[in-house]
Amino acid sequence: MGIEVKLAFDLLAFISVMVLIVLGLGIIASMMGIFNFAHGEFVLLGAYTVYIFESSGLSAWAGILAAPIVLAIVGLVLERLIIRRFYAVPIIAMLGTYAIGLVIREIVRGLLGGHYKSISEPLPGVFTLFGVDFSAWRAVIVLTTICIIAATWLFLSRTSVGLQVRGSLENPNLARACGISTTRLYALTFAFGAALAGLAGALIVPLYQLSADIGTRFLVQAFLSVMLGGVGTFEGPVLGAAAVGGMAAGLPWLVIPVLADPLVFVIALLIVKFRPQGFITQGRL
Amino acid sequence: MTDKLNIGRRRLMGSSALGAAGWIAGGGGWLLRPEKAYAADPIKMGIATDITGAIAPSGNANWQVAQFTVEQINKAGGIGGRQIELYLEDTASDPKIAVGNVRKLIQERKVNVVLGGITSAMRQAIKDPIVNRGRTLYIYPQLYEGQECTKFLYCTGPTPAQQCDKLIPYLIKTVGKKRFAMPSANYVWPQLLKWPQLLNKYARKVIETNGGEVVFEEYYPLDQAEYSATIGKIRDGKVDCVFNTVIPPGLQPFVKQLYESGFQKNGGVLSCVYYDENLLNYHPAQEMEGLYSCLDYFQSINDPFSKQLQADYMKKFPDTKYLFTAGSAATGMYRGIKFYEAAVKKTNGDLSREAVGAAMDSAKIDQGPGGGAEMVPGKMHCKMNMYIAQCKVDAGKTRYDVIESDKMVDPKEC
Repeated sequence: MGIEVKLAFDLLAFISVMVLIVLGLGIIASMMGIFNFAHGEFVLLGAYTVYIFESSGLSAWAGILAAPIVLAIVGLVLERLIIRRFYAVPIIAMLGTYAIGLVIREIVRGLLGGHYKSISEPLPGVFTLFGVDFSAWRAVIVLTTICIIAATWLFLSRTSVGLQVRGSLENPNLARACGISTTRLYALTFAFGAALAGLAGALIVPLYQLSADIGTRFLVQAFLSVMLGGVGTFEGPVLGAAAVGGMAAGLPWLVIPVLADPLVFVIALLIVKFRPQGFITQGRL
Repeated sequence: MTDKLNIGRRRLMGSSALGAAGWIAGGGGWLLRPEKAYAADPIKMGIATDITGAIAPSGNANWQVAQFTVEQINKAGGIGGRQIELYLEDTASDPKIAVGNVRKLIQERKVNVVLGGITSAMRQAIKDPIVNRGRTLYIYPQLYEGQECTKFLYCTGPTPAQQCDKLIPYLIKTVGKKRFAMPSANYVWPQLLKWPQLLNKYARKVIETNGGEVVFEEYYPLDQAEYSATIGKIRDGKVDCVFNTVIPPGLQPFVKQLYESGFQKNGGVLSCVYYDENLLNYHPAQEMEGLYSCLDYFQSINDPFSKQLQADYMKKFPDTKYLFTAGSAATGMYRGIKFYEAAVKKTNGDLSREAVGAAMDSAKIDQGPGGGAEMVPGKMHCKMNMYIAQCKVDAGKTRYDVIESDKMVDPKEC
């Protein structure tokens, strides 16, 4: 029995990783209509922040706390300088954000000399529950993900800022007529999404390793999650990420691993074919 | 001199490797001339390696070792009084780019020999422009899956036989492990790069003749991030030895999940025959503890010549990110250049491909990283010493302890 529980836990941990990564992407896509192709590199920068903290002798925990702040600033600056020019042209926005991502990725690759860097868990080791060993850090990730989902949902659905964000999404002109500064809101939303990406990168990097491609690895699946869940809602991308993460981790049990990867896409595309709006089609926040 | 350089992208990526003084712009390539002018015509040596791209860390290590070895030879008077000029072309971890750049070495620089290529895909791509159309000698320095039997193409890295023949019987008979799992990376290039498949095929044969059993052999996408299904199979199949050919970046999450599952704690053994000192740093130390590797050189080998070589290399490149280790083709590069030196000495300076090739066929070097080596006549591969080592951890630092060694192991190729 123990091994099944352990593996279910591993599955849950991987789903949490996917959800963490998708959350920021989903919020920016849903609330602003921008598909941020630099999202993977925001994740990378979050991971890189932890690396910088660790290699300069500071605590990795401080790095994890700093990562979302650093990324919020990066996001804010990028939004003010570049992203805001793209709101009217979503296709150009994809190209533009892709270019930003490329620049960030190659700079980091140069700084790392192309090597991989191992970052150890701030909370190493395992804890034993009912005779089964669980990785402490994976547990931290699962719990943090649940907290972040809850906090983000409360923020968007229960606070007045959240109401303004949703209002600007629904009808920007009316929102502006009501005296809401949509420019400021968009900047804040983008910074918030970037901060979530930074936090995701900081949390997941001990499970993998720091390399310039850490974000790219998840980016395609993250976009698939958003598509599957549906743009325009908060729950959609989260559910989509859970589905994609669950399939990516679960399918290798059933088919040979090389087939599992493309199969995730085939299944997801089939679902999208029959539910083009994604899982969540109504009942917006 | 350096201020005349037309640098750019390459400089940014390989700055520490290319930053050495003495560079002259070479129309897109790089040229390293001997320090003094000599009367006799120099010997032109081409290096084609991955200075940029995915495997830049290995390529830069290769290039640094080439500079280091050639400098040693030139300082000692060159080959029969002739100095060696080094020409570098970046193969950029991309066979498509490589073919054009390698052609430049052959057609414009007219080099006498080309050394380089790290992945098998790269070797396959550049061997034709070098050996067939270019009619030039080619030396391939990396450990690989074997079965490369092209005339005038000499392989100076270990083969599956050299890596498995000693290690696997040791794991079965001495360590006492019988049930093997073979998790492997699935390369996407069709037919070109079958390193895991061919190495596994050979290893399976050795495992079965020695009374072991392969529980499963499985291939994963290169960047797979989740391995709970594999860990489940390892548990269910009562695997006690993992013979790994998964490569980074898919490797780190696999090793972590294996470690978290308590595999090593419950007596399981992880072995990875391409793992050198550099790669240990890709993981937290505790996950690497107990790992078995089998290579032609480890830095902890107790051999005065190897120790001196290592010290001299670190003196030339202090604080370098690119170490002199066996996994990144660095030892094969050293060996290849020394073999070429030995061969040209034998031909008395005749640089024609046929003459040098004939001399290469029975070339021998007395010393090198891990000891001497000698070509097996007619086989284009070389005998070399092989070492089984295990990773130990002291206060969070990893090192390899050499457990067993074998002198002049046969490559069993061609």
